[in-house]
Amino acid sequence: MVDQTKSRIIEKNRLTELLDKLAQDYHLIAPVRDNNVSFRRVESGSEVTLDYINTVLSPKNAFFPQTETLFRFSRDDSRGFRTEPGAEADREQVIFGIRPCDARSLRLMDMVFNGQYKDSYYLDRREKTTLIGLACFDPAETCFCPTFGIDPASGEDVDILLSDIGDRYLVEASTEKGAALLDRFAEFFAELRGDEEQLREARKAGLAGMKKLDVSAIADKMAPLYEGDYWDSIGMKCLGCGICTYLCPTCHCFDIADVSLDEGGERFRCWDSCMFPEFTLMASGENPRPNRKARVQQRFFHKFKYFHDRNGELACVGCGRCLRYCPVNIDITQIIEDVTSGKAGNE
Amino acid sequence: MKATSEEVQTSVKKLFEDGSIGHFIGYETGSDSLHVTPCFLKSGQAASRLVWNPLCANNLSKYLLDFKNVEGKVGIMVKGCDSRSVVELLKENQIDRDKVFIVGVPCSGIVDREKLLEVLGISPGEVVAVEDDGDAFLVTIKGGTQRVDKEKVLRGECLVCKYPTPLVYDVLLGEAVSSLPWVGDDYSLIKEQEALSSEEKALHWNREFSQCIRCYACRNICPVCTCTECIFDKKAPRWISKANDVSENLVYHLVRAFHVAGRCIDCGECERACPMNIPLRSLNKKVEKDLLELFDYTAGIDVEQQPPLTTYQLGDLDEFL
Repeated sequence: MVDQTKSRIIEKNRLTELLDKLAQDYHLIAPVRDNNVSFRRVESGSEVTLDYINTVLSPKNAFFPQTETLFRFSRDDSRGFRTEPGAEADREQVIFGIRPCDARSLRLMDMVFNGQYKDSYYLDRREKTTLIGLACFDPAETCFCPTFGIDPASGEDVDILLSDIGDRYLVEASTEKGAALLDRFAEFFAELRGDEEQLREARKAGLAGMKKLDVSAIADKMAPLYEGDYWDSIGMKCLGCGICTYLCPTCHCFDIADVSLDEGGERFRCWDSCMFPEFTLMASGENPRPNRKARVQQRFFHKFKYFHDRNGELACVGCGRCLRYCPVNIDITQIIEDVTSGKAGNE
Repeated sequence: MKATSEEVQTSVKKLFEDGSIGHFIGYETGSDSLHVTPCFLKSGQAASRLVWNPLCANNLSKYLLDFKNVEGKVGIMVKGCDSRSVVELLKENQIDRDKVFIVGVPCSGIVDREKLLEVLGISPGEVVAVEDDGDAFLVTIKGGTQRVDKEKVLRGECLVCKYPTPLVYDVLLGEAVSSLPWVGDDYSLIKEQEALSSEEKALHWNREFSQCIRCYACRNICPVCTCTECIFDKKAPRWISKANDVSENLVYHLVRAFHVAGRCIDCGECERACPMNIPLRSLNKKVEKDLLELFDYTAGIDVEQQPPLTTYQLGDLDEFL
């Protein structure tokens, strides 16, 4: 139901102007079309595209950048070292156009970066971010977010949700942060005309028939598959590249390294991938995941068992990026079906 | 006549039955009607899974490296381009010719999925099948069939392909295709890029490489990237930082382009695999063109011919020394 008091509309032709304003006051991160559509920092509304189903890269870069300097170090006048923070504290940022699946992935990443160990780099950005989501009414064939209880038309995990209802967007704030932003830019928003609920319901027709798999028992069903040959053919096929993990909005593994020059250097962290052999290579030369099969298996066990054991949630939001972009067409939905139907153990 | 999936199935089944092969690497239908996926068989019983159609883009030859130590011969399905990377693997002693049984299929071009969907204005789920029909593809869509001109929807490498028929094979299924009517000047794009100033080239490639996420898909899918230990993975010494920035990315791509110089056969797999749509083929095409002009050399044609950059002759040009 549309909450009449918190909801507004914005005419489509005023959106660019709003984005211009947002870009002045915030670091605005929005979908941009270059070789593909990805979330980027933009300076003006005209750079933004809304003609996309979902971006190639998820917006995880805005919280957990592919490469980020943790701190810099240099020699001081005595015999020691001095350190300084890596980056200036980021300004408040707005992510515009995030899809409900990607928004849910942040909730899963929070479990990692705001769990037993608090990751100040991630949390600082998370705190300074307002999420403006865009409801999904035309999902791709590869989408299966309802599998994980995600409603592609819902604003559950964002601060403000925009729903495209033809000539205007329905704008709903679901948090105080969101409501504050709507107040601040009140000039762009108008009162509801009354037919918004009806128009939105009509658009939801496009969501009927979306792939929804039963994953209720998947964690238990994974356990016996640790041994056995189910993963043989998948490992055989896998190229061992990082596409699936780097495009995945929930994959969060990283590496830390130093760059040292004569007078100083920096420590940075960067994305890493369990698909790479060096990910588990030890100094002795031993590699506990010595082949592609072991690495592929790890990826799915992490998503559907280990993460669930630790956090009570599955580490997948059904965005479909891994299956859409896998050069050898490894299909995560097929694996889910094989595991949950019992086919995986009986080959 | 073109080979059909049925012919491939029958032929592979027979090869298993008469003991010619113990394994087979081919294609089967993937997650939807617009995808195929590599398929590995251990017996002829499952041969009915095999398909051959204009969606079979993957160059399967790299998988041969995984079968070096198995007993018996491994059979593999190759198109014209794929056969050229098999030639390169043979040249470099990566595989043993006696352990491989090559099932060649002449190819009249592979569909670029994204182009096809755009030209037809449809979503992937609407496609039922894609078939080859001379200079067009017949695309069966829910509710009808559409004929689409190949030139509009072919993959980039197929638009300039000069070797549609495999150059090395044990059995050839279907009739050889001598040339493809649409193939003209395969270096027109490269010539345009050569005409740019150094600054313009730097601008172009920095922009492209700034989008690279270093997933290494281009390297991992490349049939001639066969090093068991790659310079980019090495931790001590660390030749390239794991940090993603445009200068490190540039080093990665240029080193790779030079390492596959004279070995790249333009199967286009790097560009197809790239999730960020970086036009990687044009780097390799430039090197290919230089090798052709300087050494009259084309990779993947003849097992006896050595790549210019790995041989030395007294009469070599030495203008750069």
